[in-house]
Amino acid sequence: MAIRELSSLEKYLGLKKPNKYTTQGDRKVPVLQNNNGPPLVGLVTVACHLVKESKRAELLGSSAESRAVVQQWLEYRVTKLDGGSKEDVRTILKELNTYLEDKVYLAGNQFTLADIILYYGTHSLIVDLSVQEREQFLNVTRWFDHIQHMPGVRHHLPPVAVLRNRIYTGRHH
Amino acid sequence: MVKEEVQGATEEEQQAQSKKGLKKQQKEAEKAAKKAEKQAKLAADQHTTEEDDFAKDRYGVSAMVQSQQKLDRPLVRVHDLTVAKADQLLWVRARVHTSRAKGKQCFLVLRQQQFNVQALVAVGDRASKQMVKFAANITKESIVDVEAVVRRVEQKIESCSQQDVELHIERIFVISQAEPRLPLQLDDAVRPDGEGEEEGRATVNQDTRLDNRVIDLRTTTSQAIFRLQSGVCQLFRDTLTNKGFVEIQTPKIISAASEGGANVFTVSYFKTSAYLAQSPQLYKQMCICADFDKVFCVGPVFRAEDSNTHRHLTEFVGLDIEMAFNYHYHEVIESITDTMVQIFKGLRDNFQTEIQTVNKQFPSEPFKFLEPTLRLEFTEGVAMLREAGVEMGDEEDLSTPNEKLLGRLVKEKYDTDFYVLDKYPLAVRPFYTMPDPTDRKYSNSYDMFMRGEEILSGAQRIHDAQLLTERATHHQIDLEKIKAYIDSFRFGAPPHGGGGIGLERVCMLYLGLHNVRQTSMFPRDPKRLTP
Repeated sequence: MAIRELSSLEKYLGLKKPNKYTTQGDRKVPVLQNNNGPPLVGLVTVACHLVKESKRAELLGSSAESRAVVQQWLEYRVTKLDGGSKEDVRTILKELNTYLEDKVYLAGNQFTLADIILYYGTHSLIVDLSVQEREQFLNVTRWFDHIQHMPGVRHHLPPVAVLRNRIYTGRHH
Repeated sequence: MVKEEVQGATEEEQQAQSKKGLKKQQKEAEKAAKKAEKQAKLAADQHTTEEDDFAKDRYGVSAMVQSQQKLDRPLVRVHDLTVAKADQLLWVRARVHTSRAKGKQCFLVLRQQQFNVQALVAVGDRASKQMVKFAANITKESIVDVEAVVRRVEQKIESCSQQDVELHIERIFVISQAEPRLPLQLDDAVRPDGEGEEEGRATVNQDTRLDNRVIDLRTTTSQAIFRLQSGVCQLFRDTLTNKGFVEIQTPKIISAASEGGANVFTVSYFKTSAYLAQSPQLYKQMCICADFDKVFCVGPVFRAEDSNTHRHLTEFVGLDIEMAFNYHYHEVIESITDTMVQIFKGLRDNFQTEIQTVNKQFPSEPFKFLEPTLRLEFTEGVAMLREAGVEMGDEEDLSTPNEKLLGRLVKEKYDTDFYVLDKYPLAVRPFYTMPDPTDRKYSNSYDMFMRGEEILSGAQRIHDAQLLTERATHHQIDLEKIKAYIDSFRFGAPPHGGGGIGLERVCMLYLGLHNVRQTSMFPRDPKRLTP
C-alpha cells in the first residue's frame, strides 16, 4: 500500500528514475535503500526525502509555521489514520471536517505534501462512505474531491464520485 | 483471643438488633394510630358530606347507561365550544384529560377526540366543597357529562384547542369510570422525540403504544393520522369512481399463490389447504376479461414475509387498480398518477389540521409533487445512481438504500417527492409482466415512489394466453395450478395494466413518518398478532 503511494508520489513529483522499495516488519513499513547513505525508513521520512530530491521544497511548507503544520499532519497520517481502528473512523472524519471548514488545503492556502499523503490515507475511508455520509462530512468531501482532481495526484487510486449538490437538506431524514 | 472478639461482636449485634426491633415496633404502633386517626377523620368527613352538602344532586357517578331513558338533552361537541356560544348553559360529554385541584377550585381539561377545553368547578352557590373534591378525584380518562356555562376568557388558553372559552361547571356526572392506573400517559405519547429530555420526561416506546393501542389511538397524533387515512381511501374511491371505475370485491382465500409461493400464508381449508391472497391480481384481471373495463378494489392483502422492517406488515390494506387501455400502457400510468395527485391535493386542501397535528410530534417537510407526474425510465435512474458513485448491474433490481438515494437525487433535481420509475428489467418482475417490445431485457412495468420509498408496483399484463404460458414456464410455475387464470385469456382479452398501492405506506410517507406501524391501526407483523 505505502509502496504504491510512494511510486505515485514519485510520478507526481516528476522524478525520472523510479526507486526500489522494500518493507520491514508486520506493519510493512516502507524502506528506501539510498545509494549514498543509510537506508531511509518510514512513509513520511521517505516522502520528505523524495520532495527534497525533486527540488520542490515548497511542498513541505514555505514558512516556519506552515512547515510545522505540514509535519503535524504527516504525523497524524501515520499515527491516527494508519494506527486507528474502525470505530475511530467517524471521530477522525468529524475532526478533519471541523478543521477543514475554513481551509482549502490542510496548511491553509497552500497545497503541500500533507494534502497528498492524507488524500492517499483517507481514500479507503471515503470510498466506503454512503452518499449521505459524504454530505455529512461536507468539508472533508470538498477537500478530498479537490485533491483527487489536482493534476497528477491520483494515479493508482480510483476516482470517488462526489455530488456537487446537497441532497439531504431536510430537517430530518 | 480471636474467638472472644467474634463473640463480643455477635453480642453487640444482638443488642443492636433488639434495639432496632424495639424501634420498629414503636414505629408500627405510631403508624397504626395514624391510620386509625385518618380513618376516623374520613368517616367524620363522610358524615359531614352526607349531612350538609347542598349540591348533593349536582354530581356523582351515574347509573350504568342501559338505555333506560331517552333524555331530550343535546350534547354539544367540544369542537363547537367557541365564543359564539358564550354565556350559554349546555351539556357536554367528554373525557377527563387532566384534573388539578387548587384550594376551592378544580381545573379540568375535557377532551373529545383531538379537541379539548378547559373546565372549572369552583366552590360557590352552584358547587359545594364536596363537589370540587369529587371533581378532583375523577380518574383520568373517565367519561363525564357536564352541564356548564361557556365563558369567554381574557387570556388565550394555550394548552387547549378551544382557546377563547372555558366551561364553568354546574353539574358533573361520571358516565364511565376509568381505572386509576393508566398503562401509558397520553401526554407522554405525543411528546416529540428529544423534547423534555432535560426534564427527564418520559416518551413511550412503540411496543408499549401498540400493546395498549386503544389508549394510544386516543392521542391527538393518532386521531389525526387515522382521519387522514380515511381521507386517502375516500379520495381514492371518489377519484376513480369519477373516472368511471367500478369497485369490486375479491376473495381473500385463494387456491394458488399469485406471485410465487414463498411468501404466502397457508390456511387449512376443510380437507385441503388454501392460501391468503397476496394481492387481488388474478381477480382484477379476470374482471377485465369479463368486460368490467376499469376496476378497483380496497381490501386486506397478506404477505408471509418474515421481514421485521420499518415498512413491512404481514397484513395491510391494498388499494388496487386494473384497467383496459387502448394503445399504450402509459394510459394506465397516467390514470394512476393522476389519481395519486388528486389524493395529494385532497389531503393538502382538506386535511391541513391533521397534517399539522402530526407534524407537531413528527416534523417533516410538506409533500411535494409535480403535475403531470415525473416519469423516469429505469435506465435513467441507474445512470443517476452511477453518477452518484453507486455500482450496479443493468438488470439488477434497486436495493432499498439505492431506492432511497435515488429518491433524494430526484428530489434534488426535480423537486418532487413523487415519481414513476418505468421500464424495469424483465428478470426482476413477475411472470405476467409484458416484455418491452423493443428490448426483451426490459418490461412494460413501473414502480411509483413517495419520498424515495416504493408505494406501488404495476405493469402491463400479458393478455395473450400463449405468451403467458411461455413466461410462466420460464418462471418454472406449475401450469396446472394457474390453469383457470390462463384460460381467462383464451376468449378475447383486452390489453390492460394496473397496480397495487399499500394504504399504510402512502399515509406513512405522505406524513413523513418513519414506521408503517404508526399508520396501521392494529398492525400485524411477524412478531405481533395482538391486539
